[in-house]
Amino acid sequence: MNPNCFSRRQLLSKLGGGIAGVAFADLLNRNGLLAQSKSPLAPKPQHFAAKAKAVISIFCYGGVSQVDTFDPKPALLKYQGETMTGVGEVRATMGTPGGLMPSPWQFKKHGQCGMEISELFPHVAQHADDLALIRSMTALSPAHGPALFQMNTGSILAGHPSVGSWVTYGLGSENENLPGFIVFTDHRGGPINGAPNWGNGYMPAAFQGTPFRDSGDPIVDLHPPKGRTPEQQQKWLRLLRELNEKHLDQNPQDSELSARIHSYELAFRMQTHATDAIDISKESAATQKLYGVGEQPTDYFGRQALMARRLVERGVRYVQIFSGGGNFEPSWDAHWDLKTNHGQHCAETDKPIAGLIKDLKSRGLFDSTLILWHGEFGRLPISERMDGRDHNALGFSVWLAGGGVKGGTIVGATDEYGYRAVENKKTIYELHATILHLLGLDYEKLTYRFNGRDMRLTDVHGRVIKEVLA
Amino acid sequence: MQLRKYCKLRLGIVTLPLLAFLLFAFHTDAKWAQQPTLSQQAYKILQQNCFGCHGAAKASELDLRTAEGVLAGGENGKVIVPGDAQASRLFQFITHQEKPTMPPGKKLSDADIETLRQWIAAGALFDGFAPLAVEAAKAETAKLPERPFTDAERGFWAFQAIKRTTPPRATLASWNRNPIDAFLFAAMKAKGVKPSPKADRRTLIRRAYLDLTGLPPTPEEVAAFVNDKAPDAYEKLIDRLLASPHYGERWARHWLDLVRYADSGGFEFDVDRPEGWRYRDYVVKAFNEDMPYDQFIREQLAGDEYAPESDDAMIATGFLRLGPEGGGGGERGRQDALDDVITTTSLTFMGMTVGCARCHDHKFDPIRQSDFYRIQAVFAPTRPVNHPLVKPDVVAAHQAETRRIETQQRPLKKAKDELEAPYLKMLVEEAVSRLPEYMQIAWRTPEDKRTAGQKLNVQQIRKTLEDDTLSMKLTDKDIVARMSAEDKQKHQDLVTQIRALDRQKPKPYPTARAIGEMSAKPAPTHFLHRGSADAKGPAVQPGVLSVIGECDFPTPPANAKSSFRRRGLAEWLTNKQNPLTARVMVNRLWQHHFGEGLVRTPSNFGKMGELPTHPELLDWLALEFMNADFGVRNAESATTPHSTLRAPHSQAWSLKAMHRLMMTSQVYQMVSDDIAANVAIDPENKLLWRMPRVRLEAEIIRDAILAVAGNLDRTLGGPCVYPYIDPKLFQSSTKRTWPGKPDDDPSTWRRSLYIFSKRSIRYPLFETFDQPNLINSCERRNRSTIAPQALLLMNNNFVLFEAQKFAERLRKEAGADVAKQIERAYQLALGRAPSAFERTKTAKFIQGNPTGLAEFCQALFNLNEFVYRQ
Repeated sequence: MNPNCFSRRQLLSKLGGGIAGVAFADLLNRNGLLAQSKSPLAPKPQHFAAKAKAVISIFCYGGVSQVDTFDPKPALLKYQGETMTGVGEVRATMGTPGGLMPSPWQFKKHGQCGMEISELFPHVAQHADDLALIRSMTALSPAHGPALFQMNTGSILAGHPSVGSWVTYGLGSENENLPGFIVFTDHRGGPINGAPNWGNGYMPAAFQGTPFRDSGDPIVDLHPPKGRTPEQQQKWLRLLRELNEKHLDQNPQDSELSARIHSYELAFRMQTHATDAIDISKESAATQKLYGVGEQPTDYFGRQALMARRLVERGVRYVQIFSGGGNFEPSWDAHWDLKTNHGQHCAETDKPIAGLIKDLKSRGLFDSTLILWHGEFGRLPISERMDGRDHNALGFSVWLAGGGVKGGTIVGATDEYGYRAVENKKTIYELHATILHLLGLDYEKLTYRFNGRDMRLTDVHGRVIKEVLA
Repeated sequence: MQLRKYCKLRLGIVTLPLLAFLLFAFHTDAKWAQQPTLSQQAYKILQQNCFGCHGAAKASELDLRTAEGVLAGGENGKVIVPGDAQASRLFQFITHQEKPTMPPGKKLSDADIETLRQWIAAGALFDGFAPLAVEAAKAETAKLPERPFTDAERGFWAFQAIKRTTPPRATLASWNRNPIDAFLFAAMKAKGVKPSPKADRRTLIRRAYLDLTGLPPTPEEVAAFVNDKAPDAYEKLIDRLLASPHYGERWARHWLDLVRYADSGGFEFDVDRPEGWRYRDYVVKAFNEDMPYDQFIREQLAGDEYAPESDDAMIATGFLRLGPEGGGGGERGRQDALDDVITTTSLTFMGMTVGCARCHDHKFDPIRQSDFYRIQAVFAPTRPVNHPLVKPDVVAAHQAETRRIETQQRPLKKAKDELEAPYLKMLVEEAVSRLPEYMQIAWRTPEDKRTAGQKLNVQQIRKTLEDDTLSMKLTDKDIVARMSAEDKQKHQDLVTQIRALDRQKPKPYPTARAIGEMSAKPAPTHFLHRGSADAKGPAVQPGVLSVIGECDFPTPPANAKSSFRRRGLAEWLTNKQNPLTARVMVNRLWQHHFGEGLVRTPSNFGKMGELPTHPELLDWLALEFMNADFGVRNAESATTPHSTLRAPHSQAWSLKAMHRLMMTSQVYQMVSDDIAANVAIDPENKLLWRMPRVRLEAEIIRDAILAVAGNLDRTLGGPCVYPYIDPKLFQSSTKRTWPGKPDDDPSTWRRSLYIFSKRSIRYPLFETFDQPNLINSCERRNRSTIAPQALLLMNNNFVLFEAQKFAERLRKEAGADVAKQIERAYQLALGRAPSAFERTKTAKFIQGNPTGLAEFCQALFNLNEFVYRQ
């Protein structure tokens, strides 16, 4: 094998891939061909130049109703209480479909583009010209478990790396003192499926999402226990290094052993960096206010959104925030009492999301950050349990904003009732291909070999949604 | 008894007319609409209302689509008593006499109920179940796409017969003692690479202990071995370790990686499998007893078809139920589940990526899409069975007692419902008055005047307010609150009586997650175009990888309830002519001893996998494995019961013999250090000129910490344990809980193998240190080095707690003298004395620091030397 015919990125991906790769990279390292072979998270170049360098993904877990937020359907009022007909088979996941149910909220046109957004998102609506709205998204499953997996990993089945894993695998991270992929969950609980939602699947552990906690230390086991002072810890780390280096003397060419010694230095630095990264008390009162920090009901999500900005600012590649947790009422899963459910969740997130957009803009980060907003599916135009809406994977809304995204765009449309995507139908494969594309990654070339196959985030599917590109 | 006779009779009748029917299928189809028979009408009703759950999805294991399915009933027993509608549970459910009322959330029209009543009363005949026959006729006339294989494909190394090669003769006599050395040395010599020198005994014993038991040796064991003057001291050591029960624990874990074992189902509900551990214990036992590998395969794939009377063989079939479940029902869900079984089975036993051929012919290997569906036909008839681990009379008594109590409860429940009815009605009216106007109008409109939408809405109101336990719109509490004092008392009495009876219900008996089938002649499996359940192609016969050859599937015995297809597959796999099975397994053993396999893609022997580095050696080992006459078989393993499962040659397929062969080679005993000249020629060590250094697995790091701290509970087997996980990592969700015990709770001090593996809540130490994801078959663990691993060993409470325990142990065993403590600590943790440098450094660190000793102990847990096997 001629080492010179490999790009550095390929080498590093090989390095992430296994011990054979490590040994190979080790040889090249000694030949001076490969710098920074130590960390699988070392930054890697984009496949092609693209504006977005980082992602903040806002996941409205449980499923957001499109017909109450971003996809107005006057027909629901006109035909209220009547059966939904002429749209093919009506699939109600939880059984007992009702008649058409009008939205309790009013829609208005916003921005130069005249995008219609409901009164649930008054603050986000002010940024209508920044949003690329896809009203014709579809998912493969109307059940939470598989649908969450599909939105997060591309496959409805468990076991695949999440989008954040793919992105950090493809691009590494700009800050080795912080995890490259960080996840915030809701204070009412995490999403079902648990950690596999941000799992590394079959990739090395380096690419798994690290959950950040909402209080105390952001990372579990970040800091030494009570009673152990920083001085003590440093003394301890020095002893460990000296003992490990002595051991390394017998195997000077073993890059795995030296990488492990180095990982303790990173861990030590992570203690201060991670704590500092989420210390929003360092932000001005005005900035905090922008996110709704210190007020209800925005405080919790606002803090997370502000932390996300601080993390992205520090070079973290992928931040995912889950809004809604647990089951039913605590999540967006409005099977009954839609009014209270969506009223609550929108009120919690509207101002912070708008604040995030504004803040990123004022810091010049908006163009290098991709913001995603979506649930795992949408909701039915007909009623469920009298005043709620059931799952709907056949047509729903998602939006993108920021780096490389053409604001003020509306892609596709659902039918008269908002049930089925009928115009310019899009799939999650296409959404994922587009996310990678906006980050300068070719979704067909970003592969990882597993069990004999070059796996891809979009499997054998996908196509970039050109309409949303600036 | 009478019923069973009836079923047999019916099944006999059904299959013949079905064949006859094929001929007329196309013609009769058109006539259907005009004069449907009672059976045809019944079929339509079931199809429209029931197949959604009780079709391919087999909710409660009930499949109403076929004659066999209807008669077999579901997991709770028969649903139809032919000739007696009132006694049929299906009828009780659809008439809402019994819960669960069916279909969920609605009631069939009176006309439909009457049709079904007449149909059951007339004997529940199946002559009208025509659509299936029509479908079969259409499908079977189509031709199966079969692409021809090229000579190059047929000639690919992995499909060739295993060849016996005489080991080469080395000039150095000592290299001829073990053929492994002879093969490897010849290859090294050819490339100009020098083998490394032999490691010292301290290194060897640590290596052997970690490899075979996953636990470090005690200082006493090290000393005994170092001082053993016997010429066969090393061989005795290997034999001793192979006889240790911890050997089974260590090697079971490797197997569990392959079969993606977990203790829960994953997905939304991530349902626990509280008795899943029986399969894990089965694997441990199989390794410990050196069960011949062919028997191990037979039991896992078809234990129920070989030895249904054996609990172990039934537990072993749990292999087929290890995958995630709950990812979606219906035809697609069943297809995904079967795909998962085929993928895992073929990776594990054949080293082939058959799963790639679900939607198209394999892109690289000669695996046809039709092969995928032929293999699917082997597994398609399976259904989950909870195999009782008690005698049949205990089961019968249990069922009778449960029925007795439920019969007593029935009138009480009815009385309770009647008592609640008027109050419920009142509450419903109140709730409706708070609804939007259009809903109220629907409610108030007389039934016969309601529009279609209004009917839906009224149905929804009823369901939500009266029937819905999920949203709890109207709870028992609401109802009771409105009751008069007298009714309240009555209600309370009824509830008390019902509950008292609930408490009398017998406790569940132990069961194993097992596999069974329903019939010797299962429904046909279809080729699916593009892998889609909506694009059925021709029916396929069971088969194997056609590039290797065909398989003679056995004919099931006359009284069989199973197709014996899996038994056919197991026989094909364990046939000594099969070129894959033995090669794949010896390569796995090699991989775990030597860091990498001779084929470095151990579950992919296909074209996209790597070629064997030493093909002759691989073949030689594979043949030895199947026919070996050397070895260390345990006496007790000869007493395993099922004779039909055992290979005729008692020494064949012995894993322990292979361990012994590999570990007594000179190559296995070499040092791990660099040799610059060799690195230049073979940097990846493919020639195996040194023993690779390997990072220990997550579980072994934890086990070693516990063992060194003197805290390890070495109890074998049994239900899982739950060590502490920070609740912030799983959060309070109604469906996900982790009953973690604190680190100082001795119940958690078991080996890592026994920690509950919940698919949605991973034990952080395992997840961080590359434990596989419990969802995909894992051939080889990633070994990544990342900062969170360091943080965990620096700050995690478990590590800190065990460091303290280790310190306590040192004080107890070495007294207060720091030098002695250090000496003992190194012996315990690393199996060697500290160097002068280490003595000085660590003594300086400990002295004058009140927590110095525990911190030093923790530093030992963090050493590269501690977490790597030399």
